[in-house]
Amino acid sequence: MSKYKVLVMRHGEGAWTKENRFCSWVDQRLSEDGVKEARACGHLLKEAGFQLDLVFTSLLSRSIHTAWLLLEAMGQEWVPVVKSWRLNERHYGALIGLNRAEMALNHGEEQVKQWRRSYDLTPPPIDESHPYFLEIYNDRRYSTCDVSKEDLPRSESLKDVLERLQPYWDGTIVPEIRQGKLVLISGHGNSCRALLKHLEGISDEDIVNVTLPTGTPILIELDENFRPTKPMQLLGDQEAIQAAIKKVEDQGKVKQVS
Amino acid sequence: MLCRLTFHIQPCLRTLFLRTLLIFDLLLFYAAGDAGYEFDVCYTSVLKRAIRTLWLCLDSIDQMWLPVHRTWRLNERHYGGLTGLNKSETAAKHGEAQVKIWRRSFDIPPPTMDPDHDFYTIISKDRRYGDLSEEQLPSCESLKDTIARALPYWNDEIVPQIKQGKRVLIAAHGNSLRGIVKHLEGMSEEAIMELNLPTGIPILYELDKNLKPVKPMQFLGDEETVRKAMEAVAAQGKAKK
Repeated sequence: MSKYKVLVMRHGEGAWTKENRFCSWVDQRLSEDGVKEARACGHLLKEAGFQLDLVFTSLLSRSIHTAWLLLEAMGQEWVPVVKSWRLNERHYGALIGLNRAEMALNHGEEQVKQWRRSYDLTPPPIDESHPYFLEIYNDRRYSTCDVSKEDLPRSESLKDVLERLQPYWDGTIVPEIRQGKLVLISGHGNSCRALLKHLEGISDEDIVNVTLPTGTPILIELDENFRPTKPMQLLGDQEAIQAAIKKVEDQGKVKQVS
Repeated sequence: MLCRLTFHIQPCLRTLFLRTLLIFDLLLFYAAGDAGYEFDVCYTSVLKRAIRTLWLCLDSIDQMWLPVHRTWRLNERHYGGLTGLNKSETAAKHGEAQVKIWRRSFDIPPPTMDPDHDFYTIISKDRRYGDLSEEQLPSCESLKDTIARALPYWNDEIVPQIKQGKRVLIAAHGNSLRGIVKHLEGMSEEAIMELNLPTGIPILYELDKNLKPVKPMQFLGDEETVRKAMEAVAAQGKAKK
């Protein structure tokens, strides 16, 4: 018997998704398709009758914009939205801004897959010489976090993501859920994966193979000890979901030369 | 321009009001972005037109990450049984004389919104008002009532933030903002009833450490837009009652 329900969603396509570049902490906006995905999700959730009480997002605009689009489609703009860096996308360090296909060509599909999908492999850290360093660390939002700017990550493995996400989940999100609130988390590919790994008890080995489709709401049902009562459900047209999963997986692959 | 002002006035606290927009005004937000306004916290009502106005603004000035607090206390005035009626319908239903009384009165509320009203269920039973007590949820409001429920929020929630030096952006409605303006400027009941804040133009207040305005409200925008807004406000006092 499920005591609690939580909705988790990975935002839709960003401008760099099309270019296959690691976006990470660069504050790219949703592409037109990403906007459409979010709206479609909102309609889906509305049709399903979900009545949200609280929405959590990261500090990145694409996550926030997705939440706004969902709320608008659901006619629930009045629902409070809480933002935290702890839900930010995984920090890809020196790999930020690099094209995935080029990397796959240089390092091979497997290495790229490892960097993207391994649990505790940390990419090389970003440093001042990186073209996106100042854009990220001079941004005022990172002076408003619950850790000092100096202590914010310079690179992360998926394990690192969970380490900075879990206290937020336990200390901020769970208490709200326990009060009976229906929470939606508008997250990113890896922050969602980290959270799901934690909730579903997915092993370090298996998480490598878990791919979350974009723009697909995930419903998690939990008992009073916050253990899942059933496997997570991807909501929506199942064929479309499988296609979306494949799309994400293909991004890491080398383009076939004909 | 603002940098010079802050140099002269120490300490200077700033609060920005945005009257709700029904239509996205591109010029307005371009002006705000151009001036490089930075905020620390935002407040709005629970009505989508104010929330969407705020979202459009935050998107334009690239500060979507700012914390946003929504409250019913910044909602537009509750017009009770008059909700949804236009001027001629109101006059036809209640008579010109009664309409004049309501328009000129600070504390006479319109008729209540009763269960048979088209909007009764949509509004009174809306989930967003689920936490309000029976006393808090209005069935109608005079301007006095609106101000009476808006000001506590200003005093209890917004003022402490301003005193901490936070730069505040408020996206709200004509009458809830009137409450704050009346309070800030110490305006009389007659004076506030005559003031119609222009829509779709940011209104800037610079406050001293006692939260008294150091100058009259400023409209932000290009010269033409600002001039028109100021003229419209000035003309209100001269309009036939």
